[in-house]
Amino acid sequence: MLRFLTTRAGDGILTLAALVTLTFFVMRLAPGGPFSSNRKISPDILANIEATYHLDEPLLQQFLRYVWGVVRFDFGPSIRFRDYSVADILISGLPYSLTIGLWAVLVATVTGVTLGILGALKRNSIIDYSAGVIAVIGIAVPIFVLAPLMQVYFALTLRWLPVGGWGDSWRNLVLPIVALSLPNIAYISRLTRAAMIETLRENYIRTAMAKGIGGRRVVWNHALTGAVLPVVAYLGPATAAIITGSIVIETIFALPGIGRHFVDAALNRDYPLVMGITILYGGFLIVFNTLADILRGWLDPRVRNE
Amino acid sequence: MPLIQMTDSLLRVRDLVVQFRLPEGDVTAVDNVSFDVAPGEVLGIVGESGSGKSQILFSLMGLLAGNGRVSGAAHFAGQDLLAMPPRALDQVRGVAMSMIFQDPMTSLSPYKRVGDQLAEGLIVHKGLSRREAGREAGRMLDRVRIPDAARRARSYPHEFSGGMRQRVMIAMALLVKPQLLLADEPTTALDVTIQAQIIDILAELAREMGTAIIFVTHDLGVVARLCDRVIVLYGGRIMEEGPAAPLFAAPAHPYAKGLLHATPRIAAPLSPRLETIAGTPRAGGAMLPGCPFASRCDQRIDICQTAQPPLKVIAPGRLSACHLTGNAA
Ligand SMILES: Nc1ncnc2c1ncn2[C@@H]1O[C@H](COP(=O)(O)OP(=O)(O)OP(=O)(O)O)[C@@H](O)[C@H]1O
Ligand code: SF4
Ligand SMILES: [Mg+2]
Repeated sequence: MLRFLTTRAGDGILTLAALVTLTFFVMRLAPGGPFSSNRKISPDILANIEATYHLDEPLLQQFLRYVWGVVRFDFGPSIRFRDYSVADILISGLPYSLTIGLWAVLVATVTGVTLGILGALKRNSIIDYSAGVIAVIGIAVPIFVLAPLMQVYFALTLRWLPVGGWGDSWRNLVLPIVALSLPNIAYISRLTRAAMIETLRENYIRTAMAKGIGGRRVVWNHALTGAVLPVVAYLGPATAAIITGSIVIETIFALPGIGRHFVDAALNRDYPLVMGITILYGGFLIVFNTLADILRGWLDPRVRNE
Repeated sequence: MPLIQMTDSLLRVRDLVVQFRLPEGDVTAVDNVSFDVAPGEVLGIVGESGSGKSQILFSLMGLLAGNGRVSGAAHFAGQDLLAMPPRALDQVRGVAMSMIFQDPMTSLSPYKRVGDQLAEGLIVHKGLSRREAGREAGRMLDRVRIPDAARRARSYPHEFSGGMRQRVMIAMALLVKPQLLLADEPTTALDVTIQAQIIDILAELAREMGTAIIFVTHDLGVVARLCDRVIVLYGGRIMEEGPAAPLFAAPAHPYAKGLLHATPRIAAPLSPRLETIAGTPRAGGAMLPGCPFASRCDQRIDICQTAQPPLKVIAPGRLSACHLTGNAA
């Protein structure tokens, strides 16, 4: 286990290094710069500002300067949000995105797996068809359509829940969490259903039935593992994506998360912020993929030895 | 009415029919099969691939595929297995009757320790604690001669070879000391050199426990060596049935003759495989009129294509379904 973790940590650092390098240079290749869209700035002032952010240096020197910063956990100042460092911006927004994201992952996993198993066990039943309808809606209808509909119905018509914003109450969280988990419920339930149906056809399930231990025990004790393994693999990257926020959800529900920076920072050519977000997302990806692999290894001994 | 009536049979199968529903129509995999198994008896079922051997066993265990339908009766210790709801059947399968499957590589769960898979039945049916059941499981693994059994019980199936996995399957099936064991080609998937060992372990333990066996196999050497009686199956129907020794010495039915043709003498060290008979089993199996073997039979007469030959007694305890074999009764 320790060996696995050290290997994984080494791989992770290498991956992050490659990611940082690639993002840094590709971003600079894109036309435009942080100040190109601004009102006319006199060349003197522009040169001055660029010097402040070291944008006048040769690219390689900028890169080395950046890497040296990262090594010391200094991700530089944001260009767009003057007076704020990249770390400030991410740290202030992250708790909101994390809270909603982790809840959404939990809700999506529990609901999706349950629906998938029930659908597989009672094929072509009402439950199966309902889960199928949810899945089609969740996958086909975009969140930016569903979320406003939910606001209109649950917040404005029924007045059960607030329309948006971040408050002290859990009630503020319900709609964003539901909206964020819906597509994942849809996907996870389909994944689970297919895997469960396939697992129930396995010879070892027949062996378990032959032991006369009862259908329920066969499902929970023998078939469940095979049914959730694909979900575990999916959850690694999915969790990283979900907890880093969603610009759509944060915009619609007026939440102060970090999801909005993903798009804004790129559009504004806020180089340090883009880099910071990339490293954060990359780091989460590596961590959650590793966690998923550990969980997979715990469930499936054949994976463990790899 | 069955032609051989046992007074004290452990299992009594009557008019067993297994059909599968397919989009292109129903297929009959087992057609009107009746037989008895006495306590402690070893009954062999031979026949080529697709003749319905596995489906007979699956139907008894309530393990047919979802599109399968069964009719007839199978009385086991006074109860009709085919009429029992799954919950009642769970008091019989894995308790008084257990099964060893054809493919040891896929018949054990890859996610659970071998010892736990064995112990589960004891925990559920006999109410043993995990610890006691684990100890029993280890003891049983030792009896099927798995080296270092106590430690190996903590291993996972993928850490075992095919032969070792089949020993695990045997241990699992016999752990509950069943009255009837259904063994579905327990060695076909294995290396020839270890087949004999496995069969010997199985036979020895079953004899010791007084367990009756239905032994499905392609391996005529095994049948000759172990079985008291033999059923020759073709196209889902019984072609010939009788005590092993006389049936082997002088098969009556043309299909059985072909099957046993050129088979070296009984108890030969290296088991001969089924003799291949020219032609392929006809599609549609038992649904067509006439003798299922007609298209491949070199003794065919006119009536064979149109009338189904009934199973007749040809000698005491011997049955054959052929228009040519006479009625000895
Ligand atoms: N689920 C199913 N649907 C349709 N047909 C089936 C199904 N299962 C089995 N069959 C058919 O039933 C027939 C008998 O199959 P069975 O498995 O009993 O053969 P077998 O005698 O055990 O052969 P083998 O020696 O290859 O194991 C075959 O023709 C097979 O195609
Ligand atoms: S009934 Fe006819 S076809 Fe069938 S085995 Fe006998 S002789 Fe051959
Ligand atoms: Mg078979």
